[in-house]
Amino acid sequence: MNKFSVSLAVFAMLTADAAQADDLVPLRTELPKPVFIGTPVPFKVSNLEPPLKGKRPDFMVPAGITNLALNKTVTSSTPDPITGTLDLVTDGDKAGDEGSFVEVGPGKQWVQIDLGKEADIFAILVWHYHSQERVYFDVVAQVSDDAAFIKDVTTIFNNDAANELGLGPGKDLDYIETYQGKLIDTKGVKGRYVRFYSKGNTTNKLNHYIEVEVWGKPAA
Amino acid sequence: MQNEETKPVPPATGRRFHSSLIGRWAVFVALALIALAVRLPLLGERPMHTDEAVNGYIAGELLAGESFHYDPQDRHGPVLYLLAKPVARLCGTRDFAALTETQLRLTPVIVGGVTVLLFGAGVEIFGFIPCLIAALLFVVAPLPVYYSRYFIHETLFVAATLGLMLSGWRALKGNSVRAAAVAGLCAALLLGCKETSVIHFFALAVAVAAAFLVKPREKLPSFNVLVVALGVFIVTGVLLFTSFGQNWRALSDLCRAVSHLAARASGEGHQKPFSYYFALLDPTSIFFPVAGVGVYAAVYDAGAGVRKTGLVLVIYALAIFLIYSAIPYKTPWLALNLWLPLVLLCGLGIEGIWARLKGVKGRWIAAIAAAVPLAVAAQQTKALAFERPASEKNPLAYAHTVEDLLRLPPRLEQLAKEENLAQPLIAVVAADPWPLPWYLRKFPRVGFWQPDQDPGAADFYITSPGAAERLGDKLKDRRPEFFGARPEVVIILWPPKETTP
Repeated sequence: MNKFSVSLAVFAMLTADAAQADDLVPLRTELPKPVFIGTPVPFKVSNLEPPLKGKRPDFMVPAGITNLALNKTVTSSTPDPITGTLDLVTDGDKAGDEGSFVEVGPGKQWVQIDLGKEADIFAILVWHYHSQERVYFDVVAQVSDDAAFIKDVTTIFNNDAANELGLGPGKDLDYIETYQGKLIDTKGVKGRYVRFYSKGNTTNKLNHYIEVEVWGKPAA
Repeated sequence: MQNEETKPVPPATGRRFHSSLIGRWAVFVALALIALAVRLPLLGERPMHTDEAVNGYIAGELLAGESFHYDPQDRHGPVLYLLAKPVARLCGTRDFAALTETQLRLTPVIVGGVTVLLFGAGVEIFGFIPCLIAALLFVVAPLPVYYSRYFIHETLFVAATLGLMLSGWRALKGNSVRAAAVAGLCAALLLGCKETSVIHFFALAVAVAAAFLVKPREKLPSFNVLVVALGVFIVTGVLLFTSFGQNWRALSDLCRAVSHLAARASGEGHQKPFSYYFALLDPTSIFFPVAGVGVYAAVYDAGAGVRKTGLVLVIYALAIFLIYSAIPYKTPWLALNLWLPLVLLCGLGIEGIWARLKGVKGRWIAAIAAAVPLAVAAQQTKALAFERPASEKNPLAYAHTVEDLLRLPPRLEQLAKEENLAQPLIAVVAADPWPLPWYLRKFPRVGFWQPDQDPGAADFYITSPGAAERLGDKLKDRRPEFFGARPEVVIILWPPKETTP
């Protein structure tokens, strides 16, 4: 490769990066009304997930992506939820009131969203329950093209430090639920199915989902 | 001459039992034993509510040999602790650390059984069937069962209220000095349970005064009866609050409690609507209709000159319902005070149906009127007291400690073992740490700090989320572990840095 061709390649890479950076826009989602007002103290403990107060810092995503999970089919480890129905997970309603969440459980449970086809996923927002101060245990999020989640599984979030779910120990931190939901940076992972595990919460042994948003675009 | 429709109907039922004291007491002793059998299973399973934990701590102080010091802010009188102390001693416990949930809850369980027995002493006053129905509803209904398994003052308070009603009426009607002494004792125990006894003194006074105004007029009790009742009340009350003469300041503190109670009555975060107790007492709308028949029967009987105690009960019930409902501050255990007159009125209602509807058909109606509330109550008790006693969906589990907190002590023990810490130093930093003192009672080196205080170095920190930030570098590199304390409250355990979960 001569000097000219190397320069061209570097130039092409630089311009491509610049073009990609130009296309990044803040992720915009409609937040529900806060139901629970948490502790008024802003958190600055380095190793504790801070409960969000006010607006979340902008999270940059490629322009043109959409919530691929909206109104998509949801399945679960327990086909008959205790309260609500599985379609509530992707119905677009993020309110904290009764009637907005599905209650699955108790113990280790999962819900799974079928995006319909493989997609490039850049961000996921999940609301378990936000009408009171609550932490869900062993939260794991995975993406795969395999509906059974046996092969080609990518774990995008895991705070199951003790490996209670048997999916491998996680390094992510526990967090207190808020009306802003938990944002997971999925870094453009590809997959058709998104699965969320949890194992009860600080109030009871049940698992709840108000809404899940999967932000991305169909894979090329 | 009165025709058949207006002819007063005497409380005709239970004559056979009236004629046989042994038969009557056999019934109520059997019911009391059933009450104990219902209340005893799984007594230690439910997590300790914050109020139980506070009461357990005070009982532990008494067990350790300290005397009771009345705190007018929020701690009530000494009766619960004085009764719990010998029960715990009989269980072989000598200090707070060795106390268990079961040992503490045995006291209200026993008092719950005694309350059922007390209805046997009320047969001459209210009639056999009303007392039988009331006793049965105390044996099986969710409110009395749930709070008889709960280390707070309410079960004792209700027992003392019933004792005061029965002995007070005997003293007034029979001019009995002995009954007056018992009434004075019960009134002192009532005050020694909770300061809200003044509400009941007022309601009872109004009811009795009204009864004395209704014809035929009652004879006023003798001066001796009043002096004995008042004397026993004052002497017992003083002995209880001053810890048998050791703390005379308690008397002035008791006077100061009035202003605190007045402030608390405004709600302090526990405000609920006027109808709160009605919905809590009778979610299936079964008890109030039956009690309504009881009100009718009581008023009718009083008007006919047959029996006036039913009317006294109606006025007392009305007064107590109105007062408790009008006070913004409401908690579910306070509803137990309303359950007592409600079940007696239910009993009067069923007795009224039994007495007025003759024949097989009438008896069946009365039997169904008795059986349906009992069956409904038993079903509710199964769900609320045993299947989900600490669930946030349980209306009786008010701001209850969640089961998740039960993980904390074994987790601390496990981590301490991994770190080779025989006696780990544990610093709790939270504005409201209860019920943690109960759950950490077996760890000898535990300190409690407010969020603005520096706890110094510790092996483990336990903080509220809000208190965590102020600890700064003390928490650096420690991986937080969350635990639920109450439905609205989480706490964070910060193990030593080296520990991996």
